[in-house]
Amino acid sequence: MELNIPRTGATPEIRWDASAGILSVSGESYPENSFDFFAPVMQWLSTSLPSLPGLRLEVSVSYMNSSSIKCMLDIFDALGEAHAAGKKVEVVWNYETDNPRALDLAEEFRSEVTFPFLVQAIGS
Amino acid sequence: MTPQQLSRIREEFTREGVMICFNGAFAHSIIEEIGNALRRYLQEQEEKKSAALDVFSVYIEQAQNIRAYLARKQFREPEAANAIIVIARKGDRYVVSSGNIVEAGDQPELAGRLEQIRSTDAAGLRKMFKERLRADTRSANGGAGMGLIEVARRCAEPLQFAFHPVDEGHAFFCLTAVV
Repeated sequence: MELNIPRTGATPEIRWDASAGILSVSGESYPENSFDFFAPVMQWLSTSLPSLPGLRLEVSVSYMNSSSIKCMLDIFDALGEAHAAGKKVEVVWNYETDNPRALDLAEEFRSEVTFPFLVQAIGS
Repeated sequence: MTPQQLSRIREEFTREGVMICFNGAFAHSIIEEIGNALRRYLQEQEEKKSAALDVFSVYIEQAQNIRAYLARKQFREPEAANAIIVIARKGDRYVVSSGNIVEAGDQPELAGRLEQIRSTDAAGLRKMFKERLRADTRSANGGAGMGLIEVARRCAEPLQFAFHPVDEGHAFFCLTAVV
C-alpha cells in the first residue's frame, strides 16, 4: 500500500519506499490537529505492517509541537508491537549538530523504545 | 485610531522591545504566518539556533493552545474570540505573552495546573511531560494537554500568569513565558 504525504509549511513529508523498505519522515511538524494529520500514517501502519517482514523508519525532523510528539510516540508503539512480534524494525533519527533540541527529542524517544534506535548527527 | 493613539502604541512597543504583536482571531494560517515572520526575525537577531527554536516553540504552543480552547468554546461575542499574542526581546531574553478570554469556570483548574508547573523543576517537568505523553488524554480538538508543560520546559524563568475578571462568567487570562 502506498503512503506519500507531501511536505507543507507545518507538516513533514512522509513517504513509504517499498523497494527499500524505508518509511521516511522529514521536515517539521506543528499542524493544527496532529491526530488528524498522523491518522493516515497510523492507518497505513496497521494495514501494511502485518504483511511486511519489517521496516526501517528514517526521521529527519528539526521541530515537533507537543501533540506531534504524542503522535510520533504512537508510531513508535506500533513499531514496538511489530518488533515484539518478531519483525525487523529499526529507527534512524537524523539531527543537525547545531540543533541540540532535536537531539534531546531523539534521546527522549529512544528511552521509550526497545528496538534498535540510532541517533545520527548530520552536518549542517 | 488617531495618529496620537498610534504614536503612543508605537512608543510603548518600542520601549518593551516588541518584535511582533497580533490581536484578532487566531486561524491556523495566521499562526503559521506569524511563526514564519518570527523565525525570520530570529534568524537575523539570534545566532543560537536552539534559542531561536525555543522561542518559536513557546510561541506555537501558546498560540495553538489558545486556538484550540477558543475553537472548543465557540464564544458568541466576536471580541471574545479574539486573542492577543506579543513577542518581545528584553536584553538577552525573549518574552512571549498571550491573552485570551476564558470561562470563569475553567479558571480554577487552569490556575491549579499552572501553579503545579511553576513549582516543578526541570527534571520534574521532564517527568510530568513523559507521564502526560503516556496518558491517553488527547482531547477532541487535537491537543494532548502537554502544551503548557512544553512551554515551561523551554523557559528560563517560571511562567507568569494572571486572570482579570471581565464579567460574571468570563476572565481575561494572561500568560507570560520568558525564554
